[in-house]
Amino acid sequence: MGPDSAPDPAVPWRKVLWERQPFPDNYVDQRFLEELRRNEGIRQYRYWSVVKEAGFVGQQLSCVAIFITLWLYMEQGRLSPETLLWTSLVCALLGYGLYQALTSQVEPGCGPRTRLADLQSATIFLSFTFGFSPVLKTLTESVSTDTVYAMSAMMLLAHLVSFPYAQPSPPGSLSLNAALFASVCLASRLPGALHTFAMLSCALLVFALWPCLLQRLRENAPCQFAGVCLGVCIVGVGGLGFQSPGGAVLLALALMSVTLLCPLLLVRLQRHKDNIQGPWDEAEIHEDLSRFLH
Amino acid sequence: MGHRRRAAAVNNPSSQRVSGAPAEAVRVPSRKHNICMVSDFFYPNMGGVESHIYQLSQCLIEKGHKVVIATHAYGRRKGIRYLTNGLKVYYLPLQVMYNQSTATTCFHSLPLLRCVFVRERITVVHAHSSFSAMAHDALFHAKTIGLNTIFTDHSLFGFADVSSVLTNKLLTVSLCDTNHIVCVSYTSKENTVLRAALNPEIVSVIPNAVDPTDFTPDPSQRQDNRITIVVISRLVYRKGIDLLGGIIPELCLKHPDLHFLIGGEGPKRIVLEEVREKYQLHDRVRLLGALEHKDVCGVLVQGHIFLNTSLTEAFCMAIVEGASCGLQVVSTRVGGIPEVLPEDLITLCEPTVRSLCAGLETIIARHRSGSVPSPASIHACVQNLYTWRNVAERTEKVYDRVAGEEVLPLHRRLQRLRSHCGPVAGSIFAFVAVLNYLFLLLLQWLVPDRFMDKAVDATGPLGLWKQEQSSKHRALSKSATKKAAEPKISR
Amino acid sequence: MGEEAFTDISGKAISLNCQSHSSFCREFTVSSSKVSIGKVLVYTCSVWLLAYTVFFFTENTAVLSSAILITLVGMMLHIHFVKVDHESLLVIGSLGIQVSSSYASGRETTSFIEMSKIKDIVINEAIYMHQIIYYLSVLLKDASDPNAVSSVVPLFQSSKPRMNCLVKVYKSCQEILSKC
Repeated sequence: MGPDSAPDPAVPWRKVLWERQPFPDNYVDQRFLEELRRNEGIRQYRYWSVVKEAGFVGQQLSCVAIFITLWLYMEQGRLSPETLLWTSLVCALLGYGLYQALTSQVEPGCGPRTRLADLQSATIFLSFTFGFSPVLKTLTESVSTDTVYAMSAMMLLAHLVSFPYAQPSPPGSLSLNAALFASVCLASRLPGALHTFAMLSCALLVFALWPCLLQRLRENAPCQFAGVCLGVCIVGVGGLGFQSPGGAVLLALALMSVTLLCPLLLVRLQRHKDNIQGPWDEAEIHEDLSRFLH
Repeated sequence: MGHRRRAAAVNNPSSQRVSGAPAEAVRVPSRKHNICMVSDFFYPNMGGVESHIYQLSQCLIEKGHKVVIATHAYGRRKGIRYLTNGLKVYYLPLQVMYNQSTATTCFHSLPLLRCVFVRERITVVHAHSSFSAMAHDALFHAKTIGLNTIFTDHSLFGFADVSSVLTNKLLTVSLCDTNHIVCVSYTSKENTVLRAALNPEIVSVIPNAVDPTDFTPDPSQRQDNRITIVVISRLVYRKGIDLLGGIIPELCLKHPDLHFLIGGEGPKRIVLEEVREKYQLHDRVRLLGALEHKDVCGVLVQGHIFLNTSLTEAFCMAIVEGASCGLQVVSTRVGGIPEVLPEDLITLCEPTVRSLCAGLETIIARHRSGSVPSPASIHACVQNLYTWRNVAERTEKVYDRVAGEEVLPLHRRLQRLRSHCGPVAGSIFAFVAVLNYLFLLLLQWLVPDRFMDKAVDATGPLGLWKQEQSSKHRALSKSATKKAAEPKISR
Repeated sequence: MGEEAFTDISGKAISLNCQSHSSFCREFTVSSSKVSIGKVLVYTCSVWLLAYTVFFFTENTAVLSSAILITLVGMMLHIHFVKVDHESLLVIGSLGIQVSSSYASGRETTSFIEMSKIKDIVINEAIYMHQIIYYLSVLLKDASDPNAVSSVVPLFQSSKPRMNCLVKVYKSCQEILSKC
């Protein structure tokens, strides 16, 4: 079955409709689909760069593990709240210094927030948490412990799923809220009000401030960033190892698959990608047209 | 039983009675078809597909074919209606789901559509528009009944998002055993061939047409102390109204004598209103709102330049209408638009504000220097490019070709579905096809074909409408048809 | 004129009886088949069997008596209101059209349309259930506008004869209508 009649080779076919051409309507020219483009603008990933990006996911997983480990130590009474508070304070000060150093490297004096404002918000947060910690302590008393654990597990999972890995500074509201909700749930199961306060400050440090610092690090010092991620992962696995070796093995496997296996799959499967583009595609407006309105 | 005999005569021109047949049928020896056009979109709904079906049907009737149209009921308009020249329209009571498209279960429309196909002795089913569920249903049922099928695709789809992946799969299923497909431009053909994984040789390109007598230039309507840019389109994102919102302030600030005349309605109207408000252009940018088809020409002739900012378009009727009214056309280079008008009648630009502004500015400069061709000469160039007669002739060839092809019997249809549409979708739809076939058998047992009265032809070789034209009974078309029908039936 | 056999839209036999009383007075009677004993038996039996099954489980004799009552009342209602034995159309030129239908019970309903109100008699098409059928109808004139149609009165609504039967009635009617 072919086109209705043999085309006249003397006249070349043109892709126009206004001209009556000596070809049947179902004529298929050599140039059919010549404007078809495949996989245009596709990104070729390199394995190690993908691994580096995936490191962020891995370290966030480890952060959650570290937080749970700390909570376990607290619950068993092997870590006093005072120690945790002092360590947190030192870490926070160190991190703040590092953050300031990294900021001033790039944009000196550009930040709208002064140190006084930072101090102010830190004081407000700490005093409120301290004041409310007895309330938070008894908040979930009427709820069964199993429910609290299940709830915290769900919320931590939600935190990991909804975390904006591409742009973690500031952390997304859903992920941050889920993490803080989980930490309030867990902290309320600790023996004393000071324990709760220490746990919540620690949660703030791990889930709110640490990603901001890490993002700065990723922007300004990519080499150190990889090292820090690796370090966090090792600390997470190691810390969990003292509490439950099985958990540590599972975490290590999860970290391996997230940081090593998944990037490998992404890079391998990339060559099977088959995107079709052509003149029929809807044109995209790349310009910022809102400037005409505002 | 005079019916039965005539039913046999329809497909056999040599045994035709000349008495009722129009003159063309005698002159042209080619075969006459009984065509059923099926689409969700028909009058009173307005749009490109609707007018395409109507105009094509009218030209096919003129050529001596019998044409009926099946669509869904629009409000109180249900049942059977006759339009100009005996074009019979079945408004079937099917439930409308979304955007004037009917809900589909693959089965529920079979009894009514079968009834239409049997009583009208349909030989070719021609479905229109991939957005129409009823069209796909009709294709499916027609194949089950064993009729030849044709599908006309009027739109372009992408491949990138999830919804288009799904619709493309459904299109593959719907078209894999359709005899022939018609597209409105070469770009549309490439798109359809890729989407439905078709053999390109069963896809014909037949462009849309414009009635040139509806769109004639009238330079007296123009105001010579200003330059008017006309835009007529639905005000939606796909038509690039955001681009228009950028072009208006750019050009209006540069050219104080520039005016915009914008016809159409849609959700993006707010963008244009905001622009007009912000730059205080109330006297220079007029938003006319939704236009009736008959008013379009009156708006077009007031302008000097026609602007089309579409982001995607299979075949842009609007630019042909604009050129036919003698306007300079500026358009984006997307979809099938570059194929539509020759280079000297259209200025093609990239779909960006800067490129469109540059294109418009060259035309404006040419206007000021007076070096643009006169509206009458543009109209003369365009008027014979796209005519419905030509479209009907080319569609007729497709019908002739399809009439000679066989409709796949059930077992081969199942094989084709499974080999062509993938193991999962293919198997599902093969199962649906079997169910549909069983349903058809049930219907044929409940109401056998021989108990269905064959309809009296209004059009086609034995059409009776021509007699009606001369008869006195014009007050009520339905009764008049029946009166005209009377002597033949009782013979 | 005698009886002629036709079928209705679902293929059942009906008969058309044309009587010419005078040159401008004709009567058309479409008679459908009588109530078949077999069908009555099938319906009655199925209702009774159902009732007996219910009785078997509930052991309530009221079910049985009500089933008997239901079948009797149902049958009576059916022959009185549903089952039409024959429908007739009496066309008297210059006077009008009388439409009557008599039910199996003997009940008759009759309506008369005077000629001044009648615009025309036509065969029309309609969608009926899941079929498209032809039917004969009387078009009534609009009181205000003589060219407009105010309403349509369908004829032979219950017997639903097929096209060939309708055409025969239609032609005779037109003969009379054209004379006046």
